[in-house]
Amino acid sequence: MSSNRVKTRETKSGEIIAYSESAVRQNLINVEYVKTSLASLAGCTAGILGLTGLLGFIFYLVSLLGFFGLLIVKTGSNWQKYFISRKSLLTNGFLGGLCTYTLFWTFIYGMVHVY
Amino acid sequence: MSKAFQKLVLGCGLLSLAHAAYSAAQHRTYLRITEQEFTTLPLDIILQAVISLAIIIYSILSLKSDWKLIHATDLQEKSSWETLSNIQSFYTFNHRGKAIFNPHYLQPAPVSMDSLH
Repeated sequence: MSSNRVKTRETKSGEIIAYSESAVRQNLINVEYVKTSLASLAGCTAGILGLTGLLGFIFYLVSLLGFFGLLIVKTGSNWQKYFISRKSLLTNGFLGGLCTYTLFWTFIYGMVHVY
Repeated sequence: MSKAFQKLVLGCGLLSLAHAAYSAAQHRTYLRITEQEFTTLPLDIILQAVISLAIIIYSILSLKSDWKLIHATDLQEKSSWETLSNIQSFYTFNHRGKAIFNPHYLQPAPVSMDSLH
């Protein structure tokens, strides 16, 4: 983690930008942490609300979009200082998060509504 | 806002979510006893669950939002010219001036070639 290597990337205009790899990785780890907790807690909420079928998956999408909007508001207009690509923040780890979400959704649904 | 306050908000959100879950379970039990059909939860439980989810996510994001600057040049912007010329390999600790200008200087004994073997 402490390796301070520099990664370069060429933009569309042909300009080469150097990135500090450890900083990029640290930011992505933070986002991944929040996304995992979002998936589990959104699953809990969906279980409490008693959503079934397609409605639960729509709730996952909506909560993910809400998180993305919150992240955009938090980092503000200078997001390029912290992330290379903003779109990959939304799409990274979508299916893994969905698995976590479904696990908590079914568990809490069973706890609250079945028993 | 301080980290301790954020953690307090996070704990309150989790408690509120747990309370919403308990309320939903109670509502389900009530419906089962009175033999009514379940359609949806009452609006206040739904609102409490969704709002506490939003509060929890916001506080987790605030706790984790110590973003690092990713441009490699940002790290070097703070350094000055003095740090650039500070090259440790070129430090000098012994100088011939020590021998020339010290009146009490004793020349060290010459090393014989035999002792090197």
